[in-house]
Amino acid sequence: MSRKRLAISVAAALVLALGATACMGDDDDDAAATTTDTAAETTATGGGSGETVKIIASVPPTDHGWLGAISKDAQAAAEKHDDVEFELLQAADADSQAQQIQQAISQKPDVLVVLPQDGAALTPVAQQAERAGIRVVNVDRLFTAPDAATATILGDNYQIGVLAANYIADELKCQGNVVEIQGLAGISVTEDRTKGFTDTIRQKCPDGGLKIVASQPGDFNPDKGLTVMENILQAQSDIDAVYTHDDDMAQGVVQAIRNAGRDDEMFLTGVGGSQDAMQQIKEGGLYRATFLYNPNMAASAVNMARLIGLGEGFAELVPPEVPRQVVVPAAVVTQDNVDEYEQYAFD
Amino acid sequence: MTDTAQTWRGALGRAKALEFQEYALAIVVVLLFIAGAILKPDTFPTWDNIRNMLTQSSVVGVLAIGMTFVIATAGIDLSVGSMVAAAGVFGGIMVGTDGTSSLVFILAAILFATFLGTCNATAIAYGRVVPFIATLAMFSIARGLALLLNDKLPVSLLDLNGGSFGDPRPFSLLWFGVGRIFGIPVSVFVFLAIAILGWVVLNRTRYGRYVIAVGGNREAARIAGVPVRRIIFSVYVLSGFLAGISTVLLCARLGSASPVSGNLYELDAIGAVVIGGTSLAGGRASIVGTFLGVLTFALIFSLMTQLNMSTEIQQVTKGLIVLGAVLLQRPEARY
Amino acid sequence: MTKVLEVRNLVKEFPGVKALQGVDLDVLEAEVHCLLGPNGAGKSTLIKCVSGAIEPTSGEILFMGEPLPQGDPAGSLKRGVATIYQELDLVPDLSVAESIFLAHEPRRWPLLDLDTMYRESEALLTRLGHESIPVRAKVGKLRPAAQQIVSIARALSGNVRLLIMDEPSAILDEGEISTLFDVVRRLTAEGVGVVYISHRLDEIRRIGDRVTVLADGRTAATGIPATTPTDRLVELMVGRKVEQLYPDRPVGTDRVLLEVRDARRLPAVRGVSLQVRAGEVVGLGGLVGSGRTELLRLIYGLDPLDEGEIVLEGKPLRPGNPRAAIRRGLGLAPEDRKSQALVLDWSETKNVTIADLGRFSRILLDIRKERETARKELRALKTVPDDPDRVVRLLSGGNQQKVVLARWLLRQCRVLLLDEPTRGVDVATKAEIYRIISELAASGLGVLVVSSELEELAHICTRVLVMREGEIVAEVDGKDATERALLRHAVAPTDAPDLVEEVV
Repeated sequence: MSRKRLAISVAAALVLALGATACMGDDDDDAAATTTDTAAETTATGGGSGETVKIIASVPPTDHGWLGAISKDAQAAAEKHDDVEFELLQAADADSQAQQIQQAISQKPDVLVVLPQDGAALTPVAQQAERAGIRVVNVDRLFTAPDAATATILGDNYQIGVLAANYIADELKCQGNVVEIQGLAGISVTEDRTKGFTDTIRQKCPDGGLKIVASQPGDFNPDKGLTVMENILQAQSDIDAVYTHDDDMAQGVVQAIRNAGRDDEMFLTGVGGSQDAMQQIKEGGLYRATFLYNPNMAASAVNMARLIGLGEGFAELVPPEVPRQVVVPAAVVTQDNVDEYEQYAFD
Repeated sequence: MTDTAQTWRGALGRAKALEFQEYALAIVVVLLFIAGAILKPDTFPTWDNIRNMLTQSSVVGVLAIGMTFVIATAGIDLSVGSMVAAAGVFGGIMVGTDGTSSLVFILAAILFATFLGTCNATAIAYGRVVPFIATLAMFSIARGLALLLNDKLPVSLLDLNGGSFGDPRPFSLLWFGVGRIFGIPVSVFVFLAIAILGWVVLNRTRYGRYVIAVGGNREAARIAGVPVRRIIFSVYVLSGFLAGISTVLLCARLGSASPVSGNLYELDAIGAVVIGGTSLAGGRASIVGTFLGVLTFALIFSLMTQLNMSTEIQQVTKGLIVLGAVLLQRPEARY
Repeated sequence: MTKVLEVRNLVKEFPGVKALQGVDLDVLEAEVHCLLGPNGAGKSTLIKCVSGAIEPTSGEILFMGEPLPQGDPAGSLKRGVATIYQELDLVPDLSVAESIFLAHEPRRWPLLDLDTMYRESEALLTRLGHESIPVRAKVGKLRPAAQQIVSIARALSGNVRLLIMDEPSAILDEGEISTLFDVVRRLTAEGVGVVYISHRLDEIRRIGDRVTVLADGRTAATGIPATTPTDRLVELMVGRKVEQLYPDRPVGTDRVLLEVRDARRLPAVRGVSLQVRAGEVVGLGGLVGSGRTELLRLIYGLDPLDEGEIVLEGKPLRPGNPRAAIRRGLGLAPEDRKSQALVLDWSETKNVTIADLGRFSRILLDIRKERETARKELRALKTVPDDPDRVVRLLSGGNQQKVVLARWLLRQCRVLLLDEPTRGVDVATKAEIYRIISELAASGLGVLVVSSELEELAHICTRVLVMREGEIVAEVDGKDATERALLRHAVAPTDAPDLVEEVV
């Protein structure tokens, strides 16, 4: 076929792709209603000197509800401030995110808020930004070098593993078979959640009565969760608890258990605090608990970025400054307290 | 040049040579099964697990049957996984939050997927866009649609069970996921039916012969009177249609339509087709090979999960097995 | 006279087959030694042994008196043995100079010495009398004849003493063949020995000094003079007397089957009108580039018509639509069987039935009927082997052509368009194809044959039309047609008049 036609088709495809991405950036604001200011509440001191802070945020592709909520929350937080000029960039994968950030650097924002698809892979470009005088706020997935970001805000994934282990060990009284369905292999989030879990189990149940009989990645994806759990159900005839790294993925795991008719045999925990999870926890049964650190840490990240850009800090600290690392605590949500936490749920 | 080839390859010259690949893959399948039986004697070689593996192969399997037709014309379809997601979400929206009509979901999903396939077909057959590029674009567009249509949220389909959750009514959506006929899961029936139909069409109809002719030598096909453009158009529509069926099977088991489903399913489908002996250059295709290829992947996945192998080792092992399956094929078949 | 090459009792066995069973051959300096033989006789195997592409099982190969390194193509090349294959092994995107010096480029280490490369390429081409070929041009853009010269220059670049040419004239037309012969004579004048493989007996007479005939892996005769009569040569090849190469000339009827009215498609076809009657074999002769193939494509509908009409049995045919043409009874056997007519990985059956599958299927294909019908057609044409499951890739050129013909016979067409039907076909099969064409005409079909072998057209056609530069410039009755007469029409009067004298 003629080259001209090829060029036109590729261009059309790119335009459509770009158009679609752009549309996803402008989100409708119905979700903003449930967002409230949580842990990292700040008070701006002597703000309005008339300058605007230019913030560019870079997030990975929204292949997950939690990430979707991150984007929305970041956007909503930025809109609350008049002195913030905000742009949200969504990447397709680690490589293109690196390129996007490089382009963002050339636009010379005051602060970059980055949730990297892969912390290690994006560390160099974050360092590049810092060296260029642009401050970086690292969200959730850690960079692997200390000079890659001015401030970091993350959920404590290790703590989530600990909380889950404690919950499950208590429920089972240190006796039984546990299955772990992990997230995407190789990233800090997954590794921390696993490590927190296994360390705590070992400490809490030293006699080995509580066994982790299977541990497989579900890639944070419900289909994968489904098929992996189906296979594990085949291999294990007696399961007492399932620890999953993510609520969305857990939907697939739950379905596999239900399809096999074994929902009475075990219970399940998730992470993240999705609406579906909260619903099921409320109803009771298979889904017993979820552990969440809220996606509105993105809002906190934007607020922190603003303060950094204005050269200010948390009023509570003496002198006021923005701390290098803010760890957002995780909470355990069970049937008992689900009503409290429902408002924070993302969908 | 051809003298030599002609003389010493005389014995191997029969057109039945393709069957050797199929036998080779069948051996791989048997070996994997035996390995599983040895390594996990209590849980691998059970009827339950066999049902499980067949069910798991059905989603990618249906896609792979369609992919066989596409690849037979020397084309490729990179968009099937994304089409599955988009069709599912579309179907879910058509049903609505309070809807209970499985028929609406099934029809909507299949029609939407077929529509997307038709877009591919038009771009390729009439727009003269190279299949790789056209379907790559659709890969992106369909995924975007899947995320856009319901604002990145999954749609719950648990109500589409014909009234009873644990025991869905026949022909309701969830029945396709958990229902059984004579003890065999419905999705396996669907997969087998499509595989058999696919074989019959590809090998015993004029249309099937034309499909392979187009891949085998497009110019010669044209000169011999084959309606080349129409054939190329049709295989992409078919691919879309089968993606729709695949959607139904997947959503039935998941109980929801997720916009992030179908991630990289096209690679599994293409992989199964290629190790099954269908040539990427077109002109040689085997439904039996594809079927065995799909089973091979299902066996590998099941075995490795049951053995609780770490992901890294799983990936390396899967790659090695695929390489091994290809090396077992005839040298000429390997391009 | 020094023997450049001596082959003694060469044997080559492959699993299950003895390709060469004791072949003897010697080639002298400055000689053109022709190698003749039907397909499967072992000619390719023999050259591959000499050039080092494969290792013989036993026997001797001496080059300039010394044993030649076996199974070592690079070594053989260094010693001075170069081979030019029919499918020229050139890379289309490389320039002429790069191709000539591929794998032994002059260097000013570590970089390529481009100046020397260009200079020496020009020198080589001049030696061959083709200094007009631009050394910087991309090989893919040259005409096949020029590409062939580049191949020869490449052989020369390595100080060749023995040049083996495998059917070089297959891709050339008359004018180019004469030019090639000039080049060959230049080489022999320098002392190079040439082994020249060809099916065309007239060429052998023109350019050859001596002939070796191979049949079934054995030497049927070696070192006989090139002036040996054709009949004797054919007899040696086939092992028996072949009565005549050409069948009786078909006589047409009055019924017009195909009529072309002022067909035009620039730049190749500039207004052609012709008629083909039932029972006729009409030849279309001319040089490469005269528009013959393009005309066939227009008639069949592969290319759209700018102007003009095609009328089949009195009714106009929808142009630009091959399927319509087929439905109305046209069939086309294209110039390049392998890339345009056959699906090489398919069986004989599938290639035969592809144009008429409707005959075997209502909904499902009746595989058994398909096989039997195909077998019958193939047998009728004496295809060897007539095994319906044999993969077509493995057949000889002649038999592949029969498969293509069988396809159209199955379809029972009215008018058959044949483009170079005997290209790459050995002598014995050629005779069979001529007979088939004659019988088809006799049974009421009309046949339009394009061929570069004017000799062939002169013998088998009822009438011969000569094309030049997109137009028909002459019509010669079959009885009056001679190669010389046709060539005279094919060549523009101002072009190389010596070309005409050249033809014996």
